[in-house]
Amino acid sequence: MASLHEAKAAEATLRVSGPGPMPLTLKINGKTHKLQIEPSETLAETLRTTLGMTGTKVSCDRGTCSACTVWLDGATMCSCMTLTVDVAGRAVTTIEGLASEDGTLHPVQEAFIEKDATMCGFCTPGMVMSCAALLARNSSPTLEDVRTACSGNYCRCGTYPNVFEATLAAAKKGAS
Amino acid sequence: MKRFEWVQASTTDDALGQSTRTCAELMDSNKKTSGASVVKAGGIDLLDLLKEGILSTQRVVNIRSIDDLHHISFDKKGCVIGPLLTLAEIAEHADIRKKFTALADAAEHIATPNIRNAATVGGNLLQRPRCWYFRSEEFNCLKKGGKDCPANVGENKYHAIFDNEKCSIVHPSTAAVALVALGASIELTSRKGKREVKLEEFFISPSEDVVKENRLAEGELITAITIPDNGWKSAHIKLGEKDSFDWSIGDCAVALDMEGSTCKKAVIVLGAAAPVPYRATAAENFLKGKSIDEKTAREAGKLAVQNAKPLSQNEYKVTMLEVAAMRALLKAAQS
Amino acid sequence: MTEQEKGSKSKDSTDPPQSGKDPATDGKKAGTATAHKPPGKTKIIKVPVGYYGVNIAEVEREVPLDEPPALPVNAHLNVIGKPTRRLDGELKVTGSARYTADIQLAGMLYGRMHRSTEAHAEIRSIDLSGALAHPGVRAVHIVSRAIGIAREREDKPRVVEAKVTFDRKVGVPTVKYVGQPIAAVAATTEQAAREACELIKVEYETLPFVIELEDAMKPDAPKVFKGPTEQDGTAGGGGAPKGLPQKGNLRGPETKGMFGGDRGNVETGFSQADVVIENQYRTQIHMHSALEPHGLIADWRDDMLTIYASTQGTSALRGDIASVFDLPKSKVRVITEYMGGGFGAKFGTGNYGIAAIFLSRQAKAPVKFMHDRKEEQTVSGFRPNSFQKLKIGAKKDGTITAIELESYGSGGTALGAGVGWAAQSMYKSPNFASEHYDVLTNQSPGCAFRAPGQPQGIFAVEQSIDELCEKLKIDPMAMRDKIDDNETRREQRKAGAKLFDWSSRKPAGSDAGPIKRGLGMAQGEWPRFVDMNSSCELKLTNDGSIEILSSVQDIGTGIRTVLAQVIAEELGLKPTDITVRIGDTVFPTGPASGGSVTTGSITPAVRKAAYHLKLKMFDLAANSLKCEPEDLQMKEGSIVQKSGGGSITIKKLAKGLSTDQLSVFASRTADYGGFELGDFVGFGRLSSVQFADVRVDTDTGRIYVDRIVAAHACGRPMNPLGIESQINGGILQGISWALYENRHTDKNTGVVMNPNVESYKLIGAKEIPKIDIVLLEEYLGRSATDAGGIGEPAIVPTAAAIANAVYNATGVRINTLPMTPDRVLAALRKGGSK
Repeated sequence: MASLHEAKAAEATLRVSGPGPMPLTLKINGKTHKLQIEPSETLAETLRTTLGMTGTKVSCDRGTCSACTVWLDGATMCSCMTLTVDVAGRAVTTIEGLASEDGTLHPVQEAFIEKDATMCGFCTPGMVMSCAALLARNSSPTLEDVRTACSGNYCRCGTYPNVFEATLAAAKKGAS
Repeated sequence: MKRFEWVQASTTDDALGQSTRTCAELMDSNKKTSGASVVKAGGIDLLDLLKEGILSTQRVVNIRSIDDLHHISFDKKGCVIGPLLTLAEIAEHADIRKKFTALADAAEHIATPNIRNAATVGGNLLQRPRCWYFRSEEFNCLKKGGKDCPANVGENKYHAIFDNEKCSIVHPSTAAVALVALGASIELTSRKGKREVKLEEFFISPSEDVVKENRLAEGELITAITIPDNGWKSAHIKLGEKDSFDWSIGDCAVALDMEGSTCKKAVIVLGAAAPVPYRATAAENFLKGKSIDEKTAREAGKLAVQNAKPLSQNEYKVTMLEVAAMRALLKAAQS
Repeated sequence: MTEQEKGSKSKDSTDPPQSGKDPATDGKKAGTATAHKPPGKTKIIKVPVGYYGVNIAEVEREVPLDEPPALPVNAHLNVIGKPTRRLDGELKVTGSARYTADIQLAGMLYGRMHRSTEAHAEIRSIDLSGALAHPGVRAVHIVSRAIGIAREREDKPRVVEAKVTFDRKVGVPTVKYVGQPIAAVAATTEQAAREACELIKVEYETLPFVIELEDAMKPDAPKVFKGPTEQDGTAGGGGAPKGLPQKGNLRGPETKGMFGGDRGNVETGFSQADVVIENQYRTQIHMHSALEPHGLIADWRDDMLTIYASTQGTSALRGDIASVFDLPKSKVRVITEYMGGGFGAKFGTGNYGIAAIFLSRQAKAPVKFMHDRKEEQTVSGFRPNSFQKLKIGAKKDGTITAIELESYGSGGTALGAGVGWAAQSMYKSPNFASEHYDVLTNQSPGCAFRAPGQPQGIFAVEQSIDELCEKLKIDPMAMRDKIDDNETRREQRKAGAKLFDWSSRKPAGSDAGPIKRGLGMAQGEWPRFVDMNSSCELKLTNDGSIEILSSVQDIGTGIRTVLAQVIAEELGLKPTDITVRIGDTVFPTGPASGGSVTTGSITPAVRKAAYHLKLKMFDLAANSLKCEPEDLQMKEGSIVQKSGGGSITIKKLAKGLSTDQLSVFASRTADYGGFELGDFVGFGRLSSVQFADVRVDTDTGRIYVDRIVAAHACGRPMNPLGIESQINGGILQGISWALYENRHTDKNTGVVMNPNVESYKLIGAKEIPKIDIVLLEEYLGRSATDAGGIGEPAIVPTAAAIANAVYNATGVRINTLPMTPDRVLAALRKGGSK
């Protein structure tokens, strides 16, 4: 039982990849990327280092601070606690993909600027992704809903009051 | 994170053929880990252990996307949940909330929204303890095959107040507290076959085996969780030092068989109290035949913690658990 | 002009500032126009002084000839004082703002540190062979001097000769804390660097150690340092007075403090008192926990060392690096385009930074060295913990007769853990005595953290005053009206109490059920620090674009936007018309951002630059419009004749420039009327009064903060939107410190048990109270903008206000932070409540 010998039989049908890069196709912000990815690589690393998409931030690197929030098939996830190989076939949305193609900001982004819901800005992409995801599933949230939606997002500068205000204002403007 | 091999399992059978190690075995410093293979579901706890460098494995078998482990169904007898249901899916499920309120309450307050979207209920039951000595690469504690428990003579504010002589971890699963109160069973499957275990009996005390928290055997997977529907009322209360992401410092799930205002039977389970979800039997017995009000609930809370043996820094947890029990009883009775 | 101002200008207004008594100086000596004469040719200008809506008057100041004219109150301005969107808002909400953590250079290597696993030890040997053999490794470096920690006064060699297997013997310091840097590697990937660090083997000879402050105070405690210690301050503060006595781990007493020192005779004072209260207060280690970890990228080239750094002071960092590496400052360039939070911890090069530079020089490649979260929460600085014994005597009517403070602070292996000067300077007392001691422990070095020392000091002082009020049966507001000279706080109390509905406050412990509500208040202050290293260049280019250049950095406070506001105001433009280029030492030197100095220091220089650029533009325009420059004014992008008729757009004027650009350099002028201390502390204080509305769950010991009313002032408000954000931030960090945050260190090993943001508990979205802000428009007449800072004052009184509210709720005082359920329950049990 101590080794893999028991599993060898099954390997005929299952592909073992790595260690070492394996080919992978990712769909990020509607665009397809064909990459070579190490199985131990996290989505945050792939986005930031391999693809240079540094809008997604890494702060705690353990799923506690939600600075690295992206959407996987529309649900918010910590990209630092997601293996890239496990994302194949799922739609990834990052902060870079939130605004429209023509550059029109998402209503939550617009409201964040207006209500000064960003200070140093390092938590902001994650915070925006959490709040925008809330509006996507609940177009008229309460203050409590907003608090819950970003209860995993740390902001050390203390933008929370303005984040709440901005998100509620964006909802009011008819964001969805 | 150290590099590893990756196997994508698409059926339960694939996975059963692949998994050779539980996380507990992989982290026992007395056992060799070469050639080890470990299963990943939501991956939250596994990635945490890998990143901290306290667990390493040759192979990771991904079961996250196995459809036949991701399901939920209800019948007259109760509910069967696939282990890959996420905590968010459980918290948001209307029928779970209606019939098994304690479980919905518990799931709703675990970790963060992002974690709840990724973490599965099966993974939640099997996650390793949060004891900070266990989680720290600097300590080789009993649980990792070491010779002593640094917590009992060190920083133990968040540790167990029951069954803490040998190893004072508290069981990390909040969902388990609710599921034990609801009388849930789990189906364990290996290549040799299936077995059904009452969840309460699945978890084990450090006095039985200090490196493990449960009876999961090598090569076994949780393949279903069954909750009997006996029409009981239930509730879960979690106390923390704050409400945004925090681990429980005392939580309690209760399930009540009520006849009018009289309690025929009560199940009271304390979380963050002991190395396993802790049944408060004295309190349960006390409530038999009584109506549940402020006074009896308070008395039951006291009885729930009467055998507590707090460590140097966690006496407050006795009060936390007393209050959690009292509030959970009132919440369930009034639901 | 408003009615109010007209009224206050007349001689019989209610409270006009008298010549010789300037409200902004709180009656302190000097500070008037006649008391200070600036060097060179001067002129007299009339500046507004007082509180807008209360008592604005004009005061004469003698200022250098090249100063801009006095700026009227904000009501008469178009841009300054108006809520203004952050210029970099869009970059931040789209993830386009580029932080040090985001930068990747071609051929860049990754640096990582091998750190001590022992709390106190001599190093016997370091074996780097494993790391050197790793295929990804490009350079290694042994840390021969750990910085951040105190140094022993005796200049005898404090290093132990160590055997290093790879080439020679090198000096290495004694290990004094777990996590102390020992050797660094640079490798091609982060993973390779991590693996290589694990291959470094160090042999230790362990020594006895001590972790906790009060254990270290004991005479028989293991000594952290062999002999007396010294430590210089940094741009962020810290450091300790030279030459103080040291006994074991106790260094002191220091008796002076920033604003003088002992006065009168406390024995006499206490003998005159009707009531004497004496308490002990304890506050915990407070981790900065910025979202972006410490880090920099060093790119060593033969002609220039370029540093991309997450720093609060680009120019100060350049100076540091130049001195460590013996380079001319001109050959070191530091760039901080965006940075993800500092709060006092990001000054200086740090051990990681020095290692990165060595590694870059060795590898001939850029080296990126970012702390991971564990390093961030263990070896990147913290607010020192403290233990204070405070004794206050007062007469029945509240008059304070004596204050005596004995305080101990611990920055671990660093000095400079003073608890501020709150007890010394907040309230009138003829008799005052204090002794402060630094306590050394085997913990990593602490450092400056938002208002160093002051939240700790205020936690003690404001709870003691509250207790005095209770004993003397005097309302806390009335008490402060009696004992507090500060005019700003008087106005803040008035406005704050009204908004807070202070009068609804009930006697302590009034609520019957298990959930008890309480109201409390506390006051604070912070000096008005000025950094004279504040300069800029302002350019008009021939396409009409306007660009401001300064090395000042925006650490999230919004200074980028404020600079644009100042220029836009002077030139009749919109803030978005201005391009702000900051955070690069190739630009004129700007201030470091710490101690609430930035806005008050740099904006006067920027206004001066804008004013002189305007004069140059007027000269050119007068030429083409055939009028006198004095007849011109700026209006909506044009230069317009006041007498009507001619005008020319800036764009057109720029097109006609004889060269590509028109440029002005300006530096900050000394404060109008001089400084209170040296050339760095201005008259007046950054004062604050905060009110807290809390609920205490006496069953669980949980404290819930429902509302904070915060009355603040920071001179002339520049951008109220940004100011309110910073006040929110200070309050939330204050609540977080008061209720949740606590670093737990295993005293048997010195290992930090919660090196993360999961069990090191930070305030989150569900703990955010309603915050109502009263921002007093305060005119001091001290500079061309008269602006001040707000970062520090916002955090100073919060914890004390909450503690006083908790007392009002429960009738029980909590003198130890954080006020977590375990402590609250213990206090309630002891206090007999429930």
